[in-house]
Amino acid sequence: MTDHRSRLHINLAILAVGLAAFALVPSFANSGLIFLAGMVAINVVFALSWNLLFSGIGLLSFGHAMFFAGGAYTVAMLSLKLPGMPFLLALLCGAAIGGLLALIFGFVALRRASGIYFAILTLAFAELIHIVITRTSFLGRNDGLVGIRRPTIDLGLFSINLAGGNRYYYFIIILMALIALALWCLQNSAAGRLMQAIRQEPMRAAFLGIDTQRWRLAAFVVSGCVAGLCGAALAPWAGIVSPELAHWSVSTQPVLYALLGGTGVFWGPAVGAILFGAVSYLTRGIHGVADLTVGMLLLAVVLAIPGGVLGLISRFAGGRGAGAAPGRALPFTRKVEKAS
Amino acid sequence: MTNLTRRHVLAGVTALGGGLMLPLPYIKRAKAQESLTIGVVTPLSGPQQLIGNFVKVGAEIGADYVNKNGGIGGRQVKLEFRDDRANPNDASVAARELVGLGANLQLGTISSAAALAMGPLMQSEGGVVITSGAGTEKINHENYSPNVFRVGDNPYMRNHGLVRHIVEKNPEISSWGGIIPDHEYGRTTWAVFVDAMLTIYPELTGKQPDIKQPILVPYGAGDYKTFIAQAMRLPVDGIYTSVYGGDAVTLYQQAKPYGFFDKIKVLLDSANEFLVAKAMGNQVPKHWSGFHWYYETNKGNPLSDDLYNEYVKRTGDKYPMGWAAEAQAAILAYKAAVEKAGSSETDAVIEALKGLTFDSATGKRIIRPEDNQAIKNVELCFIEPSAEAESGFAVTDYVQVDGAKVIEPPTPGEPLQLKAL
Repeated sequence: MTDHRSRLHINLAILAVGLAAFALVPSFANSGLIFLAGMVAINVVFALSWNLLFSGIGLLSFGHAMFFAGGAYTVAMLSLKLPGMPFLLALLCGAAIGGLLALIFGFVALRRASGIYFAILTLAFAELIHIVITRTSFLGRNDGLVGIRRPTIDLGLFSINLAGGNRYYYFIIILMALIALALWCLQNSAAGRLMQAIRQEPMRAAFLGIDTQRWRLAAFVVSGCVAGLCGAALAPWAGIVSPELAHWSVSTQPVLYALLGGTGVFWGPAVGAILFGAVSYLTRGIHGVADLTVGMLLLAVVLAIPGGVLGLISRFAGGRGAGAAPGRALPFTRKVEKAS
Repeated sequence: MTNLTRRHVLAGVTALGGGLMLPLPYIKRAKAQESLTIGVVTPLSGPQQLIGNFVKVGAEIGADYVNKNGGIGGRQVKLEFRDDRANPNDASVAARELVGLGANLQLGTISSAAALAMGPLMQSEGGVVITSGAGTEKINHENYSPNVFRVGDNPYMRNHGLVRHIVEKNPEISSWGGIIPDHEYGRTTWAVFVDAMLTIYPELTGKQPDIKQPILVPYGAGDYKTFIAQAMRLPVDGIYTSVYGGDAVTLYQQAKPYGFFDKIKVLLDSANEFLVAKAMGNQVPKHWSGFHWYYETNKGNPLSDDLYNEYVKRTGDKYPMGWAAEAQAAILAYKAAVEKAGSSETDAVIEALKGLTFDSATGKRIIRPEDNQAIKNVELCFIEPSAEAESGFAVTDYVQVDGAKVIEPPTPGEPLQLKAL
């Protein structure tokens, strides 16, 4: 068995390769592709935040868009109403709003439901947020909020203007890489192993004295914070926030990314998000059938390789426990070790 | 069991790398000098695809017409289409990519949120966009951007035109109600309708109109029966509705068995053109509908005739709708602007578009320099069932209202000021 330090090194290497690949995009791509790459980087972490719940502690969320939209609208509002506020503080506020929404809804939903009932409740809550946004004047109703500028980060001795060139893009990919690393560390810590225990054997974990409900709520809040932070980073990137961010279709995205990449491997949702972005981009010229292509691809992956793309690679690699079983995510810490 | 060797991996990586590298030289392409590429970003899939298809065909017909007549400044027009799915993020990716490919002149946006996203984006990317039916009034008011133009009518013009005609024709109808989608577009159109009624009705009749609170119906609902029952109890002679697309078809179909359309004297539909009539055939209720362009009104105008004939030839559909004319008008506006400026560079085209007068399928249009809003005629048609018509319906009356008489004053950067109940 590889020790924690080795696994950390391997995953740092994976992260560095991914970061380098994203960093190279501006050297050959036009601004549309750079914008898409930025969106993909955000989606990578958005999907990882969802998988923290699904593979991390065994909660299925169909309402992750509410945290994403919460973070995005927070930064948009702060940017428009309090333009003097330090951007990093605004980002933290976005994450905090995502976490607060998760705390409120998690507190209610986790007490009352579990399994698919919990998933349906999250979907309902997210739709509630969507409707509230479309009916709230100061949130711009259906038109959303426009004119969110890319910020300047004031670090006391010097400031970094992220408005020009591709600087905000680099900021996004570095920020997302740091969050992904933090998520990996969390999931490979004692707390992460405890969450795994709750996912695999909740009753046994409870018998061992673990307050499973509290841990589930904590994971839900952490996941909400990360999703909120992703939304917060998106707002200045897109320049507009609109109610579509809270739409159920956005909630399905991390689920699709995770299915495509593989839920049983830590980097599975990240790979899914990148593949999804690439397929969407490459099929953009096939008007009207782009969604169909993506849907067919997804169906093929789910039916033919239930463990996702990384699950398939793990199976080919032939290591222990390779190939996540259909509908069951295997412990990701081991999987990463074999995949790499 | 497959044996994965290092050779396999190397071969796979090489093939993958080769595959990825292949399109790279084309990703950052230099601008084509021999032709002028115009980007068209519009919904080509999803719920708004129906309207996006009108934009697509209209743009193609407009480009072909221009190319047959010498191109733009001698350069042939080439269109590059992208699907925005009426989503601001997809529209942003597409618009940025097209600017990167050299298509700094763009058109086609019909979603209000996507159109609003275009302002800051185009300013930062150095492009210009002409919308093709985006309804929000904010484009030329509080969210005005010098890089966004609307060569069609806006909600203020449309509704003031409709109300002026209806009041002139039916001054005895003073009580009005509304069935409005609970959506930004619905609320805006109702607010403008109320403003128009409160302004025009007293001016033409010397009396005050009686306007009831509107019935707000859910956006995208499949069942309107509760709201129809509520509307049946409204003591009004006229109904205004801005429910549109598939929702309007459902609403009209469900309202008919209630006898709703027999109860009221006038039904005023802000924007469905032939959408409802084509779906309902001879079951369509008599109603006035606002149009971006109606071909019979503009018969004899070579641009209108070309658009109609080409549209029917290409699609087999005898009822083209106004979004096609908006896309054609955008192409014609770019032709006039580029030739006036002698350049297709963004700043020069923006400068030339401001104050530009150009021909279109609905006649002369003038783009106001202050807020980039075109002054054009407002068109409306009276549609009713017809036993003779193959389609089951016919247009039995149509009018044009002078756009200059119903347009609001330009106030870029300021919200639209309206009278309210």
